[in-house]
Amino acid sequence: MLTFIKLLRSLIKTLHSDGSPAQIAFGVALGAALGLTPIANVHNAIVLLLLAVLNVSFAAGLLAWGVFVPIGFMFDPLFDRIGNWLLVDSRFLRPLWTSWDNIPGLALTNFNNTVVLGSVVFWLVCFIPIYFAARYGVVKYRATLGERIRNSRYYKLLETSQLYSVYRWFQP
Amino acid sequence: MSTAGSSPNEREEGGGKREERRKKGRIFRWQGIVPILLVLVLVFGGWMLFGERIIRGTIAEAATKALGAQFDLADLKIRTFATTVELRGIALADPFDRNKNLFEVGHILMELEPRPLLEKKVIVRRFGMGAVRTGTRRATPARPVTGGGFAPNAMREVQRFAQQFKVPLLALTPIDSLKALVLDPSLLKAVQAALTLAKDADSTKAAIEARYAGIRLQETLDSSAALATRLQGTNVRALGVDGARRAVADLRRAVARVDSTKARVEALLTETRRRVDSLQSGVSRIDAARREDYDFARGLLKLPSLETPDIGAALFGKVTIDKFEQAVYWSTLARQYAPPGLLPRKSEGPKRMRKAGSTVHFATPQSYPRFLLRQANVDVAIGGDEGSATYKLAVGAVTTDPAIVGRPTVFAIRRNTSGTNLDSVLITGSMDHTGAVPREIVNAHAAGMKLPTLALPALPYSMDPGRGTSELRFVLDGDGLFGRWSVRSTNLAWTLDSTRARRLNSVESLVARVLTGVQELELTADVSGSLAAPKLAVRSNLDRQVADRLRAVVGEEVAAAQAKVRAQVDRLVEEKSAPVKAKIAEIRTDGERRVADARARLDEEKRKLEERLRALGGGLVGLPRLPGE
Repeated sequence: MLTFIKLLRSLIKTLHSDGSPAQIAFGVALGAALGLTPIANVHNAIVLLLLAVLNVSFAAGLLAWGVFVPIGFMFDPLFDRIGNWLLVDSRFLRPLWTSWDNIPGLALTNFNNTVVLGSVVFWLVCFIPIYFAARYGVVKYRATLGERIRNSRYYKLLETSQLYSVYRWFQP
Repeated sequence: MSTAGSSPNEREEGGGKREERRKKGRIFRWQGIVPILLVLVLVFGGWMLFGERIIRGTIAEAATKALGAQFDLADLKIRTFATTVELRGIALADPFDRNKNLFEVGHILMELEPRPLLEKKVIVRRFGMGAVRTGTRRATPARPVTGGGFAPNAMREVQRFAQQFKVPLLALTPIDSLKALVLDPSLLKAVQAALTLAKDADSTKAAIEARYAGIRLQETLDSSAALATRLQGTNVRALGVDGARRAVADLRRAVARVDSTKARVEALLTETRRRVDSLQSGVSRIDAARREDYDFARGLLKLPSLETPDIGAALFGKVTIDKFEQAVYWSTLARQYAPPGLLPRKSEGPKRMRKAGSTVHFATPQSYPRFLLRQANVDVAIGGDEGSATYKLAVGAVTTDPAIVGRPTVFAIRRNTSGTNLDSVLITGSMDHTGAVPREIVNAHAAGMKLPTLALPALPYSMDPGRGTSELRFVLDGDGLFGRWSVRSTNLAWTLDSTRARRLNSVESLVARVLTGVQELELTADVSGSLAAPKLAVRSNLDRQVADRLRAVVGEEVAAAQAKVRAQVDRLVEEKSAPVKAKIAEIRTDGERRVADARARLDEEKRKLEERLRALGGGLVGLPRLPGE
């Protein structure tokens, strides 16, 4: 329940931030990687770095992480199959994986694991759709519900809370 | 105008708007590096505090799973910049005895090559270890290893391997106390084989009859006879040209039908003979099973075997199998972890909350192997519960990818505390997985060593060979197996095993007297065949002496009892197998008779049809041939 409330608060804060819909959507699309793919992997460190140094919504990224974690767990069997198809069944890709697995540094990416590779490929394929869906959602929200929620008592309470100040450090 | 994403305060300030646009337009946010650096510092701190602990736990868990026995690791030190790993307090439980450790190693130092680490590959440049103890007793029994993976599979393989040996029991029941044997026919393999064969014979008979019915012999004969009757006495001129052509065509079709039916009848004969031959081979299986039933029935009566191979196998079979079982286990495990070839290899992914998936390793002849210990020469003081000695250990090309390394893994252990033949140990071996057929060889020679005490089956005595010579040779070439274990001792001692002490019967007393009078042991046990069908042959001076003595004292009675057992088995098997044999003979006779009958009737019908054809053909010239004729 607490996690859900936190997520909800994070969602409202993100939607009401000064970030443009594109910045928020980009943050969501990047953050989806953290939830969709197994977390302890090199590509997620790069995603985290991008979320921090690119002028995108960091909070949206963290929010997407939380939202996409259960989806990632749910889709693991699918990722396993995608990865298996790419690594084992697709013989034409074998030279690529062979060189990848034997290049210093690249081997540390764990892309020779079916779930890691399958989930990363799935995320990359879904990156643009996630981006556009998130942007559309933010624009729609701000045009319809946004102003009403901004004037609500609960939002004002949220805005004055101490946590909000900490959150503002990372807003785009 | 208000725009989506802008704050109310900034809307009011013109300068603020410009600042806002500038901020939004930029791509990078360099101040974001600060929290990343903070995270890195935290990660580094976490690594310093918990990294080695986590890796130690992971190594212990992975090794336990990989080797199929509890692996303990007390301490781990990683010197990142020196690429050196130091392990302390290592213990591996014996997969065959949870109360023992296979070995304990005080410390291991490994210097790794740095570049392969970037490919997640471990190449050991220098290796050292010390304070080794073997065969020590564990304070607490090792945890059983459960779950999937190579090790439990290897253990299952080994158990299957061991169960295939038929070690006879050393039956020492006096002949005068033998009870009458009442055999349950359902327990006899030959009876089971006869019942199965009876079912097969029934289904064969049904299949042949269905096939015979499918030929539709009677229909063919009836339609041919009807045609022949219709055309009998018909004047060709009265039929006219068209009528005569139709009649000839009908006759030719009928002849073709008869020919086709005859061909099917001949095919049925071939099929019947093939099926009956197959049933006949089932009959020979009954006879083979009957020989096993003789042994089974003799076992029920606990008749002492007078054959030396049986006595040898009964005395030393189990201990021999135990010896080779371990060699097969480690060979099987080595084959699974270091398979031949360069094909991509799938293994289970890392354990995590998410699905582990599979990790696929891709290799080329130029790649680094996933693990390689190039060479290690170490002097180790190996101790155990019975004292310690210094050994020289040399290993080379220990790897998970033999096809890349291109050399077999070799190892040698030599005890180097003595310059004489006494008290010496030499173990050499190789694992050649570089070719398509893997081959493992182990040769062990121990002289002047304290040999392990063996408990005698069936008698409450233990045999202590004292110091003697023991040799073991084990070769697993593909699936082919060859093993020889020999033990020689001249100071054999016999001790009454108090935990199993009981009053002995007359035959047991006789055998005990024979055995305890023997002071020398010469044992040779051979294992041959394949992993799927291994054979065991054990011979020793003890079984020769026991067999001679037993033959002299109870030979005649045993022979008579054995004859009775055979007669009873024969009677029960005959009861079930005789009707089956008769049924098989009947199927053959029936089949051949039916075919002969059908052949004759078809020939007769064909003759009649051809006669009609000739009669019609005499009145017509130039009738067209039917297509296909």
